[in-house]
Amino acid sequence: MVEVEKIREEARRLLQEGQVRGVIGYVRGPQGVWAVPAMIRNPEDVDRLVWNPTCVHNLVLFVVEEKKEQARQKEPDKRPLAVVVKGCDSRAINVLLQEKFIEREEVILLGVSCENSGVVDKKKLLNLVPSQKIEEIVYGNNGHIVAVIDGERRVFPPEEVLADRCLECQANFPVVYDHFFGEKIKKEAINTSPGVDKIEKMRLEERRRFWEEELSRCLRCYACRSVCPMCYCTECVVDPISFAVEPTTTAEEKAKKIKWIEKSPLLSENFVYHLVRAIHLAGRCVDCGECERVCPEDIPIRLLNKKLEREAWRLFNYVAGMDSQAPSLFSTFKETDPEDFIR
Amino acid sequence: MNSEHEPKIVAFLCKWCSSAGSDMAGVSRLEYPSNVIPITVMCSGSVSPLYILSAFNLGADGVLVSGCHPGDCHYIKGNMYARRRMALLKELLPYIGLEPERFQMSWVSAAEGLKFTQIIKEFVKQLKPLGPQTQLRRSL
Amino acid sequence: MEKVLKKSDLGQWVARLKDFDLYGPVRENNHWEFNQISQLANFPEDYTQVNVPLKKILLPNREVLFQFEDNRNGGPYLQEVLPEEREVVVFGVRPCDARGIVLLEKVFSSEIPDIYFERRRQQVYVVGLSCYPLPGENCFCLSLGGGPFSTKGMDILLTKMQSKYFVEVLTPKGEKLIKAAPEYFFNPTDKDQQERQQLERKARAMFTRQIEGVEKIWPVLSQMFESPLWREESYRCLKCGICTYLCPTCHCFDITDEISSTAPLQGKRVRVWDTCQFPDFTMHSSGHNPRPDKASRLRQRIMHKFLYFVETFGDIMCTGCGRCVSKCPVGIDIIDILNKVASHGA
Ligand code: SF4
Ligand code: SF4
Ligand code: SF4
Ligand code: SF4
Ligand code: FES
Repeated sequence: MVEVEKIREEARRLLQEGQVRGVIGYVRGPQGVWAVPAMIRNPEDVDRLVWNPTCVHNLVLFVVEEKKEQARQKEPDKRPLAVVVKGCDSRAINVLLQEKFIEREEVILLGVSCENSGVVDKKKLLNLVPSQKIEEIVYGNNGHIVAVIDGERRVFPPEEVLADRCLECQANFPVVYDHFFGEKIKKEAINTSPGVDKIEKMRLEERRRFWEEELSRCLRCYACRSVCPMCYCTECVVDPISFAVEPTTTAEEKAKKIKWIEKSPLLSENFVYHLVRAIHLAGRCVDCGECERVCPEDIPIRLLNKKLEREAWRLFNYVAGMDSQAPSLFSTFKETDPEDFIR
Repeated sequence: MNSEHEPKIVAFLCKWCSSAGSDMAGVSRLEYPSNVIPITVMCSGSVSPLYILSAFNLGADGVLVSGCHPGDCHYIKGNMYARRRMALLKELLPYIGLEPERFQMSWVSAAEGLKFTQIIKEFVKQLKPLGPQTQLRRSL
Repeated sequence: MEKVLKKSDLGQWVARLKDFDLYGPVRENNHWEFNQISQLANFPEDYTQVNVPLKKILLPNREVLFQFEDNRNGGPYLQEVLPEEREVVVFGVRPCDARGIVLLEKVFSSEIPDIYFERRRQQVYVVGLSCYPLPGENCFCLSLGGGPFSTKGMDILLTKMQSKYFVEVLTPKGEKLIKAAPEYFFNPTDKDQQERQQLERKARAMFTRQIEGVEKIWPVLSQMFESPLWREESYRCLKCGICTYLCPTCHCFDITDEISSTAPLQGKRVRVWDTCQFPDFTMHSSGHNPRPDKASRLRQRIMHKFLYFVETFGDIMCTGCGRCVSKCPVGIDIIDILNKVASHGA
């Protein structure tokens, strides 16, 4: 069991000793039991930290944001950041290290185990119980999730309420950390992606219809991109203007900027957006499942990334975020890479 | 399907080999279908998957990426990086429902004018029965 | 005009509305959406609130404004493109979304009417559905002058009762809809009236979320431009556009040219949704961004709704639908923020 008191103790010590400029963790949000991300800067505030199955967010996003913010500051506070990481989040750290986006000294990782379980999918749980009634959500035994409702404990088996990504997760504890809380219980994923199986089994036209139905709903709110710690490009190909406009950029230069896709949420443009994103995340997506969780249209975006995750393993024996020292998927090759598709 | 359809192929050709190979085909008066819009690139390794998606988005019925044979890349290993990237794209496109024939890759050296014409002929033959590519095509 | 309609007759009435395009709540994956329907036998018991509000019909995500072509007959050529002519009836609109239309009208139907919005507005018939039980856990319309039985912006309001719908016909447009099948509509009895009133009382008592002292908010806000509150509350914001894209009152847009041919130059000028929560929304071509961070963007969202709009149009630009609260991926909660603002003034 992860004892939240131990996380708080460590956070308090780090802050009191001035070792870190802040601790990024989870606190109870304004809507009762549901945790939200927070930056804790004062030792007095560490008691707000929580750890429970509603800690769904991948906090590495805030490491990325802090890094960008520091680049803008004249005299940034160079002390490291402490950040609470689950298994998938820690793999995101590894990818950032691999890509030299951050250095290892810039973060102190408070690794937490997912307790042979995972985090809850709010939508699944709310189909079973009304949100207002839930007083507490905690881990039970054997990966079960316990919701306290009207003082009564209701126990849910993992497959009913856990996020899909957690049901499919094969590494539910951090691969990189400085402090570790909980136990390393390796659980076996039943199937690494039943969703991908389902699509692979469809005929070509069925797949097209499936994705057309899903992607036609995309609003292009870009929440999937905003929440992704791997989508850290300052200039994304889908943006109508470039962020890299400098005071010296001339009007002509701006006009010449290539507009790869239209801003309108037309089906064709939605397809290109999601395909570009999937390819750009190949070998980088750590399957924290955040993109799919945040999508207001319930589009199963994860299934694109999962497909490439599967192919990266099948074709190149590559798994994202397991080793910060290994070269990344696309920055290397093997003589023996498959080429039977090439004429 | 409309068998009369004349497919449009966007071909990203490496300057050092495949582009020269296509010139070779021309110089040798080898006949090949005029469906190809060639785009010369410095190396197959410089072709971003975005280019390919963008070609489909702007109306290509098929896209070809062609580079130097393994070991012959002017930049030593650009084509090896390309091979990895394209392998994944090749898996992704049919996964969303695009016919696998629509995206192809080849190694064509500067001397292989004949191979180039054969590849194009074959490509056109495969594309014709599929009709126009509409899935990724932007229609305003 | 007040009527009642037998529950079993709803489908019959809707079937008579052949001259209209019909929209109603349809279940998609995990949520409800207004989609085109061919019939409507009832409102499902688990129908809560649609995901994308009615503005998706009035202010679509992509609106073509005109077509252009360079050099046709020796000069530039422009052709106006107006929304297609079709009358649309939308069923099951919740009061907060209908009130959203009234607020959109203040912007788009004022002295200089927006022809695109106007045309769509004229063609839309709103058949509302009152809220008992409350559709959302974050509903707070009651705090903002609305309510679960509010009729603002509607042509008809339906209330689901034991065996009938209580039908409030509010406009000539509403009357037109009823006239399509007058034989199904009866005058309500006293008992019907009582049942309807009772439901409203019950619904009003169900609210768990509210703002204490809304009237305090706007004077306080005008003093809060530099408040540290914005930084604190926005730290976890993702700068995604969900809160605004799904808001029934948010209406910011971008105008862009979509080129279909470069020689000759041809294309369309379109209006697409945009949001103050995107960093590039306020990016100047000089590279300067007057709203450079999440704090200033959150402040803008709150200030626009609860101060600037009040100053310009005399109304709050929020109907209390609670979407931005329920749908924010990191639990940024406008009700919580407004209560903090209100307590600043205390
Ligand atoms: S995906 Fe794995 S590591 Fe991530 S939250 Fe779920 S169980 Fe934990
Ligand atoms: S979060 Fe969903 S709706 Fe928004 S851009 Fe991504 S896929 Fe589209
Ligand atoms: S929905 Fe939430 S995270 Fe997204 S922009 Fe709005 S406040 Fe920020
Ligand atoms: S601001 Fe939020 S609560 Fe108010 S109308 Fe918009 S989405 Fe609904
Ligand atoms: S130079 Fe031809 S593929 Fe690299």
